[in-house]
Amino acid sequence: MSLSIFLITLAFIILLQAAIPFLLKRSIAFGVTIPEQHMKERALSSYKRFYSATILITGTLALTVYLLWAKNRTLSEDQVVFAGLAIQFGVLFLSMIMYLYFHVKTTKLKRTHKWGAGLKQVRIADLASHAKDEMLPSYMFALPALITAGLLVYTASQYSQLPAMIPTHWDIAGQPDAFSRKTPFSTISLLLILLVIQGMMFGINVMTKRSGIKLTSAKKKASQIQQLAFRKYSSWFLFLTTVLITILFGFIQLVIIQGGMGNAAFMAAMPLGFLLIMLIVTAIYAFRVGQGGSRIKVTVEDEEAMETAFVDDDQYWKAGIFYVNKNDPSIFVEKRFGVGWSINFGNPIGYIFLLVSILLIVLISFFS
Amino acid sequence: MLIQIETSSDIPIYTQLSNQLIELIARGQLKGGDVLPSVRSLASDLGVNMHTVNKSYHELESKGIIRIVPKSGAVINPSIRDGISDEHRLRIVEELKPIIAEAIVLGMTAKEIQHLASSILSDMKEE
Repeated sequence: MSLSIFLITLAFIILLQAAIPFLLKRSIAFGVTIPEQHMKERALSSYKRFYSATILITGTLALTVYLLWAKNRTLSEDQVVFAGLAIQFGVLFLSMIMYLYFHVKTTKLKRTHKWGAGLKQVRIADLASHAKDEMLPSYMFALPALITAGLLVYTASQYSQLPAMIPTHWDIAGQPDAFSRKTPFSTISLLLILLVIQGMMFGINVMTKRSGIKLTSAKKKASQIQQLAFRKYSSWFLFLTTVLITILFGFIQLVIIQGGMGNAAFMAAMPLGFLLIMLIVTAIYAFRVGQGGSRIKVTVEDEEAMETAFVDDDQYWKAGIFYVNKNDPSIFVEKRFGVGWSINFGNPIGYIFLLVSILLIVLISFFS
Repeated sequence: MLIQIETSSDIPIYTQLSNQLIELIARGQLKGGDVLPSVRSLASDLGVNMHTVNKSYHELESKGIIRIVPKSGAVINPSIRDGISDEHRLRIVEELKPIIAEAIVLGMTAKEIQHLASSILSDMKEE
């Protein structure tokens, strides 16, 4: 069981990591802004291919070895899990090293050939952008919290009937294997964690909604349509994630309350189903939307291609991944190497919010 | 209704922003009663400091082009039909003088300057 979980996640991670260079805007290669006239440069496409091929080949090899190793021996569950995790981290570490290597190479290439040296640095905004924004209203994210509130009330009403030991962990077959003593806190700690997660998602939606809609000077209309699509689908993705997590946690809470009623097979299938749906949704989101909506097809032609100007914000992207810009009031910005949002480290509100949320979750699970 | 800021230019960003907003009003793309985006939202879109946008809005307010209404934000004043006030005329003359002087010194003839002024005028009226 854990073997198939790890095989699926691993295959997913390898595929997505290898695909990243092709999900990105052509104006950004390995975290470096590339002016319009150099986007088709041979060296860049060979870097991208090399990056993807290395991850794909190494990953597939590791996957095959892992499969053969686990199939031909009787191994304990722990060994399978440990090796699976190690390989996952290995793949992520390899992608990181490869990224940094090509980031440095691309930066050098840009510097030695003076790409964009004579170009004007232009930034563009549309005064009407935000009126066209179709991100989900943030109150939608409060709706799943109503379910949590309902479950809290229900748990409180059932408190006297709950067993003296509350299950807190289940093994891979769906059998509870860790318990803690029944207290008002331990019976609702799962719901409290769910509440923090829901609050986090709500906060992320509020903050991403307020972040800037940055247009590319070379393709104003097209980039606006893509940006708006990216924002819309990202907020849908966030909402769907919140709903799925609510269903998963709500289900586990019901199992805790109902005690013996929880069917072991069902209990084992639920997290697996959750994982599968999440992987599929993430893949659809990443491949359909792409970085900043770069994979959204746009039929509008920009009348004037501005070849003399571009937006070069490399100075704010440390190592091409971390955005640090104290001037920019945006708390979240479009990811530079990947699909989704990234934090502006120049604005402490964003990371303090995420850190506090994570700290709360850790504290609740530690004391329950 | 695009705003285009050149960060590598010698002209301060807030001046560029004010100039472009005034031009949008002159061209009729922005009209009296229209509300400008909030300072935070425009600063985020341009990736510039909020003070920069704020400074530009206050400059436009002091020129009487917009008014800043608590809660509703920066609202564009209805365009003035019954002629420019003496105070504003004086300022425009003061600002135009050195530019015309510079044009003369750099070799523009009176005819060229007049032609330039009318071509800019007709360009703005066109849209």
